[in-house]
Amino acid sequence: MTRILLRDKLDNCVARWRKAGLTVIGPVKKETFSSYAAVENAAELDLSMIMPDRSIKGLFFPQTEPMLHYTIKKQALDIKDFTPPPEKRIIFGARPCDASGMAIDDPLFGWDYKDNFWFQRRNETVIVTIACTKADDFCMCTSLKLAPDSTKGSDVMLRPLQNNRGWLVEELTDRGRDAFNEIADLLQDGSEPEASIAVVPEKFDLDACVTWLQKTENFESTFWKEISMRCIGCASCTFLCPTCHCFDFQDEGDTYSGIRRKNWDSCSFALFTMHTSGHNPRATQSARWRQRIMHKFNYFPGKFNVNSCSGCGRCSRQCPVDMGITETLQAISTLQP
Amino acid sequence: MTIQETYKTRAKELLSSGRVKMVVGYKAGSTPDRRRPHFIRTPEEADRLILDSACIANLSGYLITEGLLSDEKSVGIFLKPDGVRSLNILAAESQLNIEQIVVLGFDVNNNEITALKGEKAEDFSTLIESLKEHVPQTPGNPLLERIEAMNAKERFAFWEAEFSRCIKCYACRQACPMCYCRRCIVDCNQPQWVNTSSHTLGNFEWNIVRAFHLSGRCVGCGNCDRACPVNIPLRLINAKMAHEVLGAFDHFAGMSQTQEPVLASFKKDDSETFIL
Ligand code: SF4
Ligand code: SF4
Ligand code: SF4
Ligand code: SF4
Repeated sequence: MTRILLRDKLDNCVARWRKAGLTVIGPVKKETFSSYAAVENAAELDLSMIMPDRSIKGLFFPQTEPMLHYTIKKQALDIKDFTPPPEKRIIFGARPCDASGMAIDDPLFGWDYKDNFWFQRRNETVIVTIACTKADDFCMCTSLKLAPDSTKGSDVMLRPLQNNRGWLVEELTDRGRDAFNEIADLLQDGSEPEASIAVVPEKFDLDACVTWLQKTENFESTFWKEISMRCIGCASCTFLCPTCHCFDFQDEGDTYSGIRRKNWDSCSFALFTMHTSGHNPRATQSARWRQRIMHKFNYFPGKFNVNSCSGCGRCSRQCPVDMGITETLQAISTLQP
Repeated sequence: MTIQETYKTRAKELLSSGRVKMVVGYKAGSTPDRRRPHFIRTPEEADRLILDSACIANLSGYLITEGLLSDEKSVGIFLKPDGVRSLNILAAESQLNIEQIVVLGFDVNNNEITALKGEKAEDFSTLIESLKEHVPQTPGNPLLERIEAMNAKERFAFWEAEFSRCIKCYACRQACPMCYCRRCIVDCNQPQWVNTSSHTLGNFEWNIVRAFHLSGRCVGCGNCDRACPVNIPLRLINAKMAHEVLGAFDHFAGMSQTQEPVLASFKKDDSETFIL
């Protein structure tokens, strides 16, 4: 039996979830900026935007977080581990590309070492995704073999109804089912015609790109220098990206006591690969841009069998010099393998 | 002929005569309203040049791309008056040899584009002087006026909220032609002088460091502000500092290629209000 969540019941749902101890998070727009943020009622949610400026990533992998506190005494070293405080959360109105991004990064954070910071938050969070009925020029999920209604990474998928009254509920995981059991009496049995999902034209031939990237001689191609000439080497693309996951450890304090933190880092920065000697194996911006593309579409899939890109388009949408994954892969797909 | 066509011809002439080895301009971007930097090395590549009122990015930062000017050949570049000012600063701070730069000048006001006469940076000095004379007394920006009207506590709270969402992507720095340090102070990590953490305190540190380093050097091009992916109104900070510097030292950044940097020079009659 299919069930429907009506828009006018959403405020009750938010209240119910909050009462059950869940932090409710969703897309919020504040003046000139949008992100996924905690809300107290449904009116704070903006479910009409294409997607928030910032991705969902920071909710699982914050831009900075403490890992441990150290105190060094004469004969002793005192270490206190931090773990994120337990917090049950529900993200209502995630975009499919954001939700898939988290699933793409799961194998990375669980591979040789299980990152408890990531998995604790993953396990404590229910992702309720709404299928997209509109897209912009930068959306490219379909080029990555995903879709505006991909269920990857989601605990519940909501499919918008044609009359805009609400959503068809599709529970995908136990976590999702538990959260929706809380609001079972607010749902309505039955089915109504679904709105058509967004049309997102394919922008490039991914397989052709991957074939080109895998050819070792193309690593030294002059293509890299040409395509990245205007890249200014900021971290806007990597930090906004739901799947980029590089980090750095920093000790804040002094020799005797302080906090070790885990901070976002970016392959766009020259400092990222700078050796203590001053030598930099990725000395130019083109080498750094090549790394970003190679990592996402060659090395990452080589190891985890999935591309490290969900096609959200943020890297292109927000690049200060109008670059991004799209342009590069479009150019690669026209090159001779 | 439209300005675009005139300048296309000019760019082609510069390249085919061997006067310059490259022209840095604009081309179409990924959407109709976007423009991209365009590096033109052959007359044919100049066909894709676009010059219209959407060409507002200050391109002068590309001039100090490592190695670009080291062969002593000349480079042409499309610059608005703010771009010419930043070019002057780069020359005054010994970052480039201004003789190697051919300016293709233009201006954009109220969505109207106009051509500017001249080809060397100094040809625009009268124009820049008149810009200095016409600096408005009041900010003329509603948000800046709102901030000016706040008391210190409210102002702090305003910036705290703005900076709290900074992600330390350094797009502001990378987009700024005046942020050319090969190793920014925040990247000096032996030891790490400024924390890299992007918590609110760290974000304050970063943005205050940058505000000071841009004081009397910012030309108000807006590159930083447009680059910021979380839309912090960065230009307001630098505009405020520029205003202070103009009031205190009669210094308008980028007047000429020999102008001394305001915070690295000393005049006997400099106003001095707090040390003695
Ligand atoms: S591609 Fe754009 S966003 Fe990414 S590092 Fe280069 S300039 Fe910055
Ligand atoms: S690489 Fe670009 S399009 Fe792909 S997930 Fe990251 S930000 Fe989105
Ligand atoms: S601080 Fe901003 S407005 Fe000022 S010169 Fe740099 S990029 Fe331009
Ligand atoms: S561009 Fe914006 S978010 Fe990035 S470091 Fe600068 S102020 Fe922070």
